[in-house]
Order: sequence, then C-alpha cells, then structure tokens
Amino acid sequence: MRSRIAADRLRDLQRITDAALAYLPLETLLAELLTRVVAILGVDTAAILLLEDDDKTLVARAARGLEEEVERGVRIPVGRGFAGRIAATRQPVHILNLDDFEVVNPILRERGLRSMLGVPLLVEGAVLGVLHVGTLTERAFDSDDVDLLQRAGDRAALAINSRLTERERGLADALQRSLMPRLPAMPAISLAGRYLPAAAARLGGDWYDAFALPDGRVGMAIGDVVGHGFHAAAIMGQLRSGLRAYAMDGMTPGEVLNRLNRLLRQLEPGRTSTLVYLVLDAHGGTLDVASAGHPPPLVKPAEGGAAFVETTSSVPLGAARHVDYDEREMPLTPGATLVLYTDGLVEHPGEPLDAGLERLREVVQAGEEDLEHLGDGIVDALLPGGARDDDAALLMVRALPLGDTLAADFPAEVESIPVMRRLLTRWLGETGATAAERDDLVLATAEAAANAIEHAYGLAPGVVELTAWRSNGLVTVAVTDFGSWRAPRGTHRGRGLMLMEGLTDGVEVIRRDQGTTIELTRHVGAKAA
Amino acid sequence: MSDEFDPRVEYRDSVGVVSLAGEVDMLQANALRNLLLGVVRNEDLGLVVDLSDATYIDSVGVSLLFELAERLAERQLRLAVVLPEGGLVDRVLAIVNLGSVAEVEPTVDDALAAIDA
Repeated sequence: MRSRIAADRLRDLQRITDAALAYLPLETLLAELLTRVVAILGVDTAAILLLEDDDKTLVARAARGLEEEVERGVRIPVGRGFAGRIAATRQPVHILNLDDFEVVNPILRERGLRSMLGVPLLVEGAVLGVLHVGTLTERAFDSDDVDLLQRAGDRAALAINSRLTERERGLADALQRSLMPRLPAMPAISLAGRYLPAAAARLGGDWYDAFALPDGRVGMAIGDVVGHGFHAAAIMGQLRSGLRAYAMDGMTPGEVLNRLNRLLRQLEPGRTSTLVYLVLDAHGGTLDVASAGHPPPLVKPAEGGAAFVETTSSVPLGAARHVDYDEREMPLTPGATLVLYTDGLVEHPGEPLDAGLERLREVVQAGEEDLEHLGDGIVDALLPGGARDDDAALLMVRALPLGDTLAADFPAEVESIPVMRRLLTRWLGETGATAAERDDLVLATAEAAANAIEHAYGLAPGVVELTAWRSNGLVTVAVTDFGSWRAPRGTHRGRGLMLMEGLTDGVEVIRRDQGTTIELTRHVGAKAA
Repeated sequence: MSDEFDPRVEYRDSVGVVSLAGEVDMLQANALRNLLLGVVRNEDLGLVVDLSDATYIDSVGVSLLFELAERLAERQLRLAVVLPEGGLVDRVLAIVNLGSVAEVEPTVDDALAAIDA
C-alpha cells in the first residue's frame, strides 16, 4: 500500500521534471520543482543549493519556505554543516532534532526548523548540489521518504545539468567569439584565421591574434593554454591582452615572451601555455619569430617547397622562472605564405605527430592561391568530418607582391602613416629608386597624407587613397582624399608643403568638388637623377 | 620605422644634451614636446639636441625644433643641433633652413662650443 503511494508520488515528480518543466528557464524550473516536493512530502521547507565552480562552496539557488536563504545568497562550505556534509559524503543526511547538530546556516534555526532531510544532486557520480527539506515539528523521515527525495534529486540534477551545460555552451560560444580577433585589413598583406572548437563543445585554450603595430609592421600570435574550460579561456584572454600591450610598446618577440612568462607565473602559478609570437615586416621581407614550446611555423616560399621553420628550442610559458626567450630573424619574401597552427590541428589519436605535420605540409605545398581557400583546404584535409577531441587554431599570412602600379586605401588616421610609409618604401625599392630618392619621396608622401588626414575630414572618419606609378624614369605618387579643401592649419603644415617641394621634383595640388589630390613627382634611378 | 624612439638626456656643465634616435615625427610629437620643454634648467646656458642617430624627421618634428629655438631665444638661451652631413634628416633640415634659428654642428663637442661661445 505504502509503496503504491510512493510510486504515485514518483509519477508526480516524473511528470514535473520530464514534461511540464522541460522548457522553463532553470530558476523557474527549480522553484516549481520545490513547490511540488513540499506538497508531495508534506514538509514546510525545501531548498536547492548548487555547487560553485570552485567545488568548495554551496550557494542557495531556489527555496520554498526558506526564501531568505536565496535572498541572502547563503554560502555553505562543502564539508561543514548540514548541506555541506551531504555534498562532501554524497550521502543522504537525516536530522531528527536540529538542536543536536552543528548548523552553518543561521536561517535554519531562525525559521525554527526541527527535522531535516537532504540528498545530494548527483550526475555521473559528480555532485552538483544538495536538495533538502525540513519540518517545523519533529519528523522521523523513513526510507521511502529518503528514496523519494533522492529520486526527486536525481531528476532535478539531470535537469540542472542539461541546463548548465546548455548555458555553459552559450557562454563558451560568446566568450570564444569575443576572444577571436577581427583580423586587421592591411594593404598588400593577406591574413586569414580559423578556430575550430572541440567536438564536445568544451571551451578550449587555443587562440590567435594579429594586429598592426604602431610602426606599421604586423604582430601575429598563436597559442595554446594547457587545460580546458572557462578558466583556460580566461587565461587565454589575459595572455592576449598582455601580449598586445607589450607588443604595442615596441618590444621584440623575445622580450614579449619573457614578460608574458613573468605575467603568467604571477597570475596563474602552475599554468603553462605554448605560444609563438612573430613580427612581420612584410615590406622589408623579414620575420622575427620567438617561440615558447610551440609547434614550428610552416613557410611556403613563392618558389620552392614548403618547410617547417626551425625555432630556437624553448619551454612553454609558465614552465620555468629563469628562461630567456630569444627571437630569430628570417626572410619572408613577397608571395611567401606563413602558416601558424596549434597541435589540435596536426595531432590525432593513434597517429604519429609527424604524419599530421606532413599532411599539413603537403596541403600547403599544393598551395591554394587564396588564403581563405587554403584555410578551408587545410581544415578539410587535417580534420575531415570535423570530429576532434581537441580544439584547433590556424593563422595564415602572406605579403602580396606589388604590381607596377601601387594602389591602396587607408583610414584617414595618423596611425595609417607608418603603414603607408612601409608600403611605399617597398614599392619604390622594387621600382629601382635609390635609398635617398626613396626616403625623400616617402617623407614627402607622409607629409601629403598627414595634410589629408588633418584637414580633409574634420573629425569625421574618411579614407586616404595612395597610388603610385612610374613612367620614363619619373615616379608619381598621388595622395587623394574625398573631403573638403581647407587651407592648412598651423605653421608645421606650411613646413609640410615646403618639405614636399624640397624633397621632390614637382608638387601639384588638384582640387575637386569632392576632395583633393596631391601629386608628387620625382625622377628616380641614380642615372636619371 | 623599426627604430625605437628612445630619447636620452644628460647634462654637460650648464648645458643639457638631448639625444634623439630613430624617428622624430608626429607620432612622438607630444611626448617629445613635453620632454624638450622640460629639460632646460633655469641656470642653463642653452640646449643641445643631438640628431646623430635620428633616421627620420617630419614637419611636426621640424616645427618642434623651431618652437624650441623660439622659446629658448626669448630667455636668451641658445639652441644647437648636432647633425652629421648627408642623410634624410640633414636634407630635411636644410630645406627648412634650421640654421636660421639654431647652430647646426657636426658633433656634440662642436655644439657645446657653439653655445659657450
């Protein structure tokens, strides 16, 4: 008879957890569940406490008859008091008389509770929290009560777990997305990146970043924080911020890694991360690389075979206090492709690492022209079907060869000037100008661009267009804005025009309704000059 | 462009010597302006700006030197600029005729002598 009643009760609970509550938000689900538990067991209070991420603290999340517990955000250390003991032992705890028990939570006494019963919320053996009920009068809970509450707890745990997983997945997606950079648009430089989350949708520790340095070079990083979950992702965010800050201060790759090592050891003792940071001088055709225990970058020259780059051997960040990361300079000529990746891309269970590396080398060697297509090709070849246990990241860059005519757009901002100077320096070098001719024209062009940036658009954003061509030993550089002409402000702009005239063979200012073009001409090639 | 902007200041008796390496341009203008205007002590006779290791100077950098010369002149102080011959910085400062407001000398010792004279 009694078991039939218990079975009825359980059916009530099943109906609650499986059907009616299935689509409710977690908080509503828990509150509704407690209401039913109170009614079915005939108790005065019921509460659910969930374990925090640190696995050390229980926090009240839902309550019936003990609402203050949630309002006050009661926190119970695991192992102490009534709920803490349930979580620590993973066993039901029954208290006949609360007076005889060490209670952490003062609310239980304030409310005059007399008897209590609590069960752990377990999923796959892991404790998620505690469900407990209480009565104002003494009550000896029997084994059927314990069984019923445990089953209610099991069902609640399943619901909580799936909701948490879902919420974590949503947060993980948002966090990961926020940590993936928007790659900078830079003239004559092509960049592409891929991030592939692990199949289990665990938050990974892989990341990459690319940004324009103040001097117009490109900083690029790829890294892999050991571990998974929010904590690993948070560390990855901190490393990324640290790296950008040090990089923006003009530090060399080796110096950046030394400081990141110190930062990581202080922020997160015991954590390690592999990382490669490099600075690409696309227009100088060089690359400075420093690696902290990261798999070697792959380079495919414009002509010839793809090969992995030897980096100086080194340990991951955080692994050693006294370590001196060093950078290595290597050529990266126009048309060459550089591929950075994390081990998740090349490491597959049951296969030697070399096999994955070789497959990557072959795909890059086969060489899709477009970097986005190359990225797709690499992912298809190395992670077919997308199934993977680890997350993976991929970052590719190529300095594009410049044509006979140079044409590029820049945001009308002071920061564009160093980028413009680098680009024009490379183009003039390829055009056959001497160092002095090149320096003069580049400075004159920077003055023309500064003029456009300062005067064409006021405070509104705008674009400055740079074009350059050569005919019959005469180079013309045209700097065009699409704003309104205004006489230069301040004395140094007057000097700017003086410099443009002094450093070139001709300066022409062409005013149109919608903007201004400054054309600078100069004879180049020592013989012609 | 890869040269780090790293100003150094030292004092030779009653003359400050500021050495500017790398690029002297609009990106550094504010920091440089504060440095240069703050470096002159009340008892000084003048200021030497050493551009021996400067690789680039734009019109903002040029204007800063002119402003410095003007302010020093108002206080009866002299500006000397150290500038080895040849190179972009030399060409630029010749175009704007820096020599009209400052002593232009090939070495720091020459510059110190020019201020003491």
